[in-house]
Amino acid sequence: MGDLAAAGAALRYTGASIGYHGTPVLTHVDLNLAAGRRLVLIGPNGAGKSTLIKSVLGLVPVLDGTATVFGQPPAQARAVTGYVPQTDSLDADFPVTTAQVVMMGRYRRIGWWRPTRAVDRRAVTQALDRVGLADRAGTQFGTLSGGQRQRALVARAVAAEARLLLLDEPFNGVDAVSQDAILTVLRELSATGTSLVLSTHDLALARELADQVCLLNGRQWAVGPPGEVLTAETLRRAYGRHAVDVSDGRTVLVEP
Amino acid sequence: MIEPFTVPFMARALAELALLAVIAGPVSVFVFARRLSFVSDALTHTVFPGVVVGYLAGGIDGVFAGALVAGIVTAIALTLLTRGGALSDDASTAVVLTAMFSLGVALVSRRSSYTADLTTFLFGRVLTVTPRQLAETAVLAVIILGLLLVGARAMIFRSFDPVGAAAAGFRIGWLDLWLNVVVALVVVAAVRAVGIILVVALLIVPAAASRMVTARLPVMAALGTGLILLSAYAGLLASWTASVEYGFSLTSASAVVLVLVLAYLLLVPLGAVRRRRRAPGHGTHAERSSPHELVG
Repeated sequence: MGDLAAAGAALRYTGASIGYHGTPVLTHVDLNLAAGRRLVLIGPNGAGKSTLIKSVLGLVPVLDGTATVFGQPPAQARAVTGYVPQTDSLDADFPVTTAQVVMMGRYRRIGWWRPTRAVDRRAVTQALDRVGLADRAGTQFGTLSGGQRQRALVARAVAAEARLLLLDEPFNGVDAVSQDAILTVLRELSATGTSLVLSTHDLALARELADQVCLLNGRQWAVGPPGEVLTAETLRRAYGRHAVDVSDGRTVLVEP
Repeated sequence: MIEPFTVPFMARALAELALLAVIAGPVSVFVFARRLSFVSDALTHTVFPGVVVGYLAGGIDGVFAGALVAGIVTAIALTLLTRGGALSDDASTAVVLTAMFSLGVALVSRRSSYTADLTTFLFGRVLTVTPRQLAETAVLAVIILGLLLVGARAMIFRSFDPVGAAAAGFRIGWLDLWLNVVVALVVVAAVRAVGIILVVALLIVPAAASRMVTARLPVMAALGTGLILLSAYAGLLASWTASVEYGFSLTSASAVVLVLVLAYLLLVPLGAVRRRRRAPGHGTHAERSSPHELVG
């Protein structure tokens, strides 16, 4: 892991086209995210936010241009990336406890069939504690609220001790308490050098959280500090008529 | 109540079903977790022509080889097709499966002992299990449990969160093949004893029934095995009693499956109670209510 730690950039994309079966979904991606920084992806539904996240995980191929994660091809950097899916994408009826879900973050380290070790169980307990779900370890994952489930999935990535965390719309349908809990953990992780990539529709949150914002809609429209990217002009370019100016000089997005 | 089982063929029948219980309990949990009842269903249809060809070529011993080849080929084909999203639980697939089944029937119908043979393939011959068959089932059971043990953790992760598992570096395609092969091996192990129709019950009912009382996967597996054991004992006893005491024939394998289904039906109210007791307000999750999940 020495090489990875030494690499300055968590993400480096140059002129990248990303897509499935040779058909690009997202083009013109140029990113340079320094290790320990926070990147927020903004764009309408179907803009390619999830595709970009999956390309960082090596699950969707880069068709053109280059992409590296800590200096490596994405698929080879999986040991240091942690993925937090949308809770809605998971089967809530699946018979598994919250602690087991968090333990999945350790599976890669544990391997296929070796029993879990004390260090793994400790990592799970600590991760659950950080997201405020210590008392829910033995609860069925499906019986948690949407926000608690999302917190458990963040705990899973924490337990994986990832250096780069990728979160796909982590605040969709999440209650305020859970959103606060998740934001607190993300800020703590960021302060200790973990890089973050997070997609959201929430412009206010992006302004507050991001070091860099990347504006997507089929292609990358802009990237840079939130103050430069989240302007009425660039938003209107990416969103077209779905960007609406409101009275205080800010721009809001309306979904079609 | 144990006296019928002192007769050697009854003892062998019970032993064969006990071996199948040990593997079908855990495997059914994975079939349930991955919602693979469709794959089990597909396998029984495609293994059928393999069984017939094996029988025509080598008699009852050829059935094993025929089922094995057809099962593995199907497992690989299903893995490739579902991976590309080319296969779904729809009409065109049903047509292909029915065609495979018809092919099997057409092959059997060329024989003079057509009806008897067909019955054997469809419903098995649990009462004529030979010591050699028992040994083969035991070997398969060890292989299947070994494969499950090694792959369990990765397969649970993959079942719960495919993208997350892939992101963590697990190879989804291989895991799917792994489980499809395991299911195919169970079909192969069980086909001579219970036939290709009833093997679906062993792959689906145990987990569906035990899910009514528990949400813990290892407990589900153990409970599933226990349910099959109980059904094997009760079903064999019922079919023995029916023919010895009352002089009417009750096919043993179907008696076993009927008891298994009865156990499931008895547990359904418990499942309903459990769900109601579960934190109110979270009852909006999609429950597994498709009939296909339960009856294959």
